[in-house]
Amino acid sequence: MSLESRLTRFTLFVFAAVAPVVAEELPLTPEQMSGAIQIESVSIPTPGEFFAAINKIDRPNWSQLARNSLVTNSTSRPQIALNLGTRVADGFIAVEAQDGQQVKNVGKDIIDLAKGIGVSQSILARGNSISDFAENNEWNSLKEELEATENEVKLQMAEQKDDELITLVSVGAWIRGTQAASIVISANYQPEAAQLLRQPDIVDYLVERLDALPERIKSDELVKSVQTGLNTLRGLIATEPGTPLTKETVEEVRRETTSLIEKICGPAANPA
Amino acid sequence: MKFRSALLLATVVFTTASIDAQDAPAPAEAPTTSSVPGDAATNEAPARNAALELAGAFSNDGYKIRDGYWFSSATSDTAPIIEVNLFTGNEYWFCAAAVPSESRIAVTVYNELGELVDQQTYADGARFAAGVEPAASGKHFVKVTLVEGAKSDFCLVYCYK
Repeated sequence: MSLESRLTRFTLFVFAAVAPVVAEELPLTPEQMSGAIQIESVSIPTPGEFFAAINKIDRPNWSQLARNSLVTNSTSRPQIALNLGTRVADGFIAVEAQDGQQVKNVGKDIIDLAKGIGVSQSILARGNSISDFAENNEWNSLKEELEATENEVKLQMAEQKDDELITLVSVGAWIRGTQAASIVISANYQPEAAQLLRQPDIVDYLVERLDALPERIKSDELVKSVQTGLNTLRGLIATEPGTPLTKETVEEVRRETTSLIEKICGPAANPA
Repeated sequence: MKFRSALLLATVVFTTASIDAQDAPAPAEAPTTSSVPGDAATNEAPARNAALELAGAFSNDGYKIRDGYWFSSATSDTAPIIEVNLFTGNEYWFCAAAVPSESRIAVTVYNELGELVDQQTYADGARFAAGVEPAASGKHFVKVTLVEGAKSDFCLVYCYK
């Protein structure tokens, strides 16, 4: 390829890259919107995305949100799955705090919890990667690795016919991420930050998935509590588009999520 | 800021394209014109690789690539749509790649009312990216439209910062 043609191509690339949408695009119809698909690994944001948005408004002290190792002796598979999800969110908090040791601790907990439901083999390598990235302060890589680890655990759950546990991992991660965010926003209320807590569609999705669980899982006392808690949270965070939650509502979200985290992980599970 | 990302992307893709033109392509993973449209088993890996390659250009500018991806098919009559949840303050690029490689697709992003949101676009053959900075947090829709061809498989990934 000649230099001239390379430069022409380069110019076209740049032009194409910055050109705004010029084609006339009609709004989506109600049928198109209701027919849109949802894929958990794409449609549900990671705690990292949530925290990145908070960082644009405030610069919280993420290290204050760290929790000590919380692996319990519980043999309840739903509880282990929920707890595992909360630890994934803890990993993102530790990354925001740029606390390498805490990231390693959380990575170890994730592996230990995964062992409790028999899905550890394939994620041992992930645990090593998390440790290596933490050692080298590769925070951006850690965010991707944490999500990849979560997805690998879920994939293993699917392969061993534990699909119902996948939803519980997502629920645990969302509750812990929302708890952390509500603590941060409560401490320094700003309407722009409070608007980030408005996530009714995510809660709807998670509640729908919990509704679809087999009866033996749905009848678990902890799962029932979580489902009730999510419905309560749905009522709190479903404001009109563009309308932030009030300071009082953010505080209610903090209380509700803290209560759920205590049920999932035990009463010593919350940061001071 | 967007322009910087776009320029970076352009540079990376230009460099990649130049290298590809000079060196022998990797036939095992590269999308080929012999791929059978609609053959999901054949098309998923090359489509995902191409979408990730496109998203990878943004990671040099601080974007984090989501691990999840959406593999689907578009036809001249059907433009599939996926729901995503975005946060105000973050910047997003939705990157899609179609197989076969002569397909042309477009990616458009809408807010929860179904209205088109302001977006930057990038097109390179069978690959397309749309960049948005959401005005409001919440549900958004991403539509993949086939603009050339009768049917095409595609893979979509996204990155954020």
